[in-house]
Amino acid sequence: MSVQSGPQWKARSEMKVLNTDVPRVDGPAKVSGRAKYAHDIRLPGMLHARLLLCPHPAADVELLNVEPAKRIAGVVTAAELADRPDRTIFLGQPLAVVAAETPEAAEDGLRAIEVRYREGGWAVTPEQAAAEDAPRISRRQPNALTERETGNQGRTERALEGADATIDETYVVPVQHHCCLETHGMVVDFDGERARVWPSTQAVTGSRGEVAQALGIPADRVEIVCDYMGGGFGSKFSIGPEGLAACQLATELRRPIHLMLTRTDEFLMGGNRSGGRQRMRAGASLDGKLVALDAEVWRHGGIGRGSNPGQPYIYKAETDSMRIGSVRTNTDANRAMRAPGHPQASFAIESAMDELAYAIGMDPLDFRMRNLEDPVYHRQLNRVADEIGWYDHPNRETPGIPTGGTNVGIGFGVSTWGGGGRRVCVVTVRIDPDGSVTSSAGSQDLGTGVRTYVGSIVAEELGLAVSQVTGRVGHSEYGPANASGGSTTTASLAPAVKDAAHNARVAFSERLAEWLECGPGDVVFANGEVRSGTNERMKLTWSEACSILGSDPIVATGEWQSHLQTSGIHGAQAVKVEVDTETGGLRLVKMVCIQDCGLPLNRMALRSQINGGMIEAIGYGLFEERIIDPWLGVALNANFDDYKLPGSTEMPELVAIIDDDDERQQVIGMAEATIIPGQSAIANAVANACGVRIRSLPLTADKVLMGIQEKA
Amino acid sequence: MRVLELEVNGDQVEVGAPDHWTLLEVLRYRLGLYGSKQGCDKGDCGACTVLLDGEPVIACLTLAALCEGRRITTIEGLAPAHVRAGGRGPDPVQDAFDRCGALQCGFCQPGMMLSAWALLADNPTPTRGEINAALSGNLCRCTGYTQIVEAVELAIAEATGATPARPHWAKHESTPPKPASVDGREASR
Ligand code: FES
Ligand code: FES
Repeated sequence: MSVQSGPQWKARSEMKVLNTDVPRVDGPAKVSGRAKYAHDIRLPGMLHARLLLCPHPAADVELLNVEPAKRIAGVVTAAELADRPDRTIFLGQPLAVVAAETPEAAEDGLRAIEVRYREGGWAVTPEQAAAEDAPRISRRQPNALTERETGNQGRTERALEGADATIDETYVVPVQHHCCLETHGMVVDFDGERARVWPSTQAVTGSRGEVAQALGIPADRVEIVCDYMGGGFGSKFSIGPEGLAACQLATELRRPIHLMLTRTDEFLMGGNRSGGRQRMRAGASLDGKLVALDAEVWRHGGIGRGSNPGQPYIYKAETDSMRIGSVRTNTDANRAMRAPGHPQASFAIESAMDELAYAIGMDPLDFRMRNLEDPVYHRQLNRVADEIGWYDHPNRETPGIPTGGTNVGIGFGVSTWGGGGRRVCVVTVRIDPDGSVTSSAGSQDLGTGVRTYVGSIVAEELGLAVSQVTGRVGHSEYGPANASGGSTTTASLAPAVKDAAHNARVAFSERLAEWLECGPGDVVFANGEVRSGTNERMKLTWSEACSILGSDPIVATGEWQSHLQTSGIHGAQAVKVEVDTETGGLRLVKMVCIQDCGLPLNRMALRSQINGGMIEAIGYGLFEERIIDPWLGVALNANFDDYKLPGSTEMPELVAIIDDDDERQQVIGMAEATIIPGQSAIANAVANACGVRIRSLPLTADKVLMGIQEKA
Repeated sequence: MRVLELEVNGDQVEVGAPDHWTLLEVLRYRLGLYGSKQGCDKGDCGACTVLLDGEPVIACLTLAALCEGRRITTIEGLAPAHVRAGGRGPDPVQDAFDRCGALQCGFCQPGMMLSAWALLADNPTPTRGEINAALSGNLCRCTGYTQIVEAVELAIAEATGATPARPHWAKHESTPPKPASVDGREASR
């Protein structure tokens, strides 16, 4: 490849580093326990802070006196939050904050705060909120609001009448929590002039602006450090009320403040995936066409509006119409959560597709393909069907019936996502005379492996080993970068890294050409050497080449290059489940996910993302559900004991497949898509096993057993 | 307040702490050992797992005062212990977790590795079911556990000289044949 052309990804066959299994460069720091997270930051004079949360879904705060807290041993200050309302509107709304020498003294301080609430009317379930006499949650809008109508409902009605088979069913999804193992929060060190801040964040660049505003100083006096963070999944874009509270304390006290949410606070105010209810009236023809779909979609996002991309989601219906809206409740607002809205939409449409397929006596895999236009899905569904053993499975056109023993079923689902990038990141690659190479980006590594590819893309470009390039992320001084969300990091950042690497190589080639007695375009970087492409005896080791730089290192920057990335991905999943028809208990046997992503950067990290997507879907499908008592308005499972996450013993065999038939030579973000269809495939597998269709997540044993008994 | 005499990672330390403090509080707020994570502070997540006389315990539910006279091992202590025992390079369990890509955010990993380490000390050739059971108290939100279990199996294979079982996904990996190596830390296949 000539250096004169702009940056281009190499052919996959020529790649030495990219598209292989690259162990994370920060693996040793993580496994040794050296990796420091926001939670682990300790500074001289640092205080620990805790928030006071409103224990009612809505209440007038009649009295809030923080003075008694200040008299507690170890407490340094207590304050009402700067913007605290007189009337709260969601369960867990923060009102005040205490700073103390130890976390437990801060908690003692919270208990000493004198506070009197007058509980107002509230609604914590969508049913309560939609009732005639329900208290208004927003002054401006009704609780239940239809926001958008699409299609021609009259035409859909007529098409439904003409369909060979129809269903009219309602599918319900609960509120799911992100459950990052590290809670939200940050450490702020502010001296009145400048601030250094360690947030647990998905947005280093964005945090800088937010903190600057909160502290009332220019952004160039704020330094954000996020070397490691313990999971985000969409919940850690903003510094949130906890970050604002930390800044408020730091401003008042001029002492470093450590404010990490407790696990319970995290459940109450750290965000969630919105729940929802979707009524699907759908019709199919005997030849396997989805001829009509009318959908009524309600999103349940607490005081937020929830998310759902709408129906028929990925599928194509000959006629469709939809009304989509939201019902507000007095609970924490939903936030983005890995593939916002998509798992919800997936559950309704994939369940409905299965129900229709069985209604016309057709193999549900076949029925899917007849209503998916994109041939990529056909290829992917065949791959996962093959791997899961669908073609040898007995119940392909008709679900099984409860045997009294164990029934085995298989189910499917598909996913989609954008995954494209945009122009934000500026990356710097520096080659020093001593041979060291750094690649720096003000992005963040949520655990996906960003730090590794920030280095390894440069290693590939310069013909070096991954260990010869130091990838640096997690620092606001490393240049602007977008927030890591919506699977936009890879396609926004990797092209800028590639561009910087390319520019560094071109600049270095110009400096080396004379030494190698060739033109700059003929300088070849490979196998840790630099040589002339025209005379193979002219070559330098990497350190010899770098020493030529004298005291003048190569510093090159790179920006986003649209042609190095693209968008539009597909995935398919299959699940095999065993249903104990005596108890309703489920055991997942195997789960397969195939995912395309354009050009893979690091296969090992990719498979990890695929596995991680599958497990979040297993949690959503089998266990996870926020429960708030509808009569008392009390959170019943705001902890990891009662809110059940999947553990190692609940894992099936997971098979992560990278779709190498996708030959696009551009990078695309992919993590979101892997979480989308798993729970739908599980529900379909249960129905396939024993004919019991569960239309509300999670698929707990009691629901399955009830369904089995109804059949009997 | 009392002065505790503790043996942490082979060192004798004296530390002043309130009587009711947990071992996790003493480690994280007195001894500067942040490797043991605080994921829930109530015994539900396993992120704070440490070894007490070689047995995994939940440090956030263990009274520090009851740990006097017992051997405490945190994640920071695994590699030095390996070296003290005459081993070379990194601790085999930590190394296997690294090479199998068993982690993403890494927050759960210290606890996870100590649970795995205790299992292998007790039972050098556990079955997959036994591995899953031993790790069942350690929650991981990121990885799906698959690569974690593969890491434990790699550590077992290397200790016993057996070839690790070929993971089920491997047959879908036709290209490329070779993993890249970082500092000689080759990815496990
Ligand atoms: S922090 Fe101890 S179990 Fe979660
Ligand atoms: S790697 Fe993030 S929780 Fe396990």
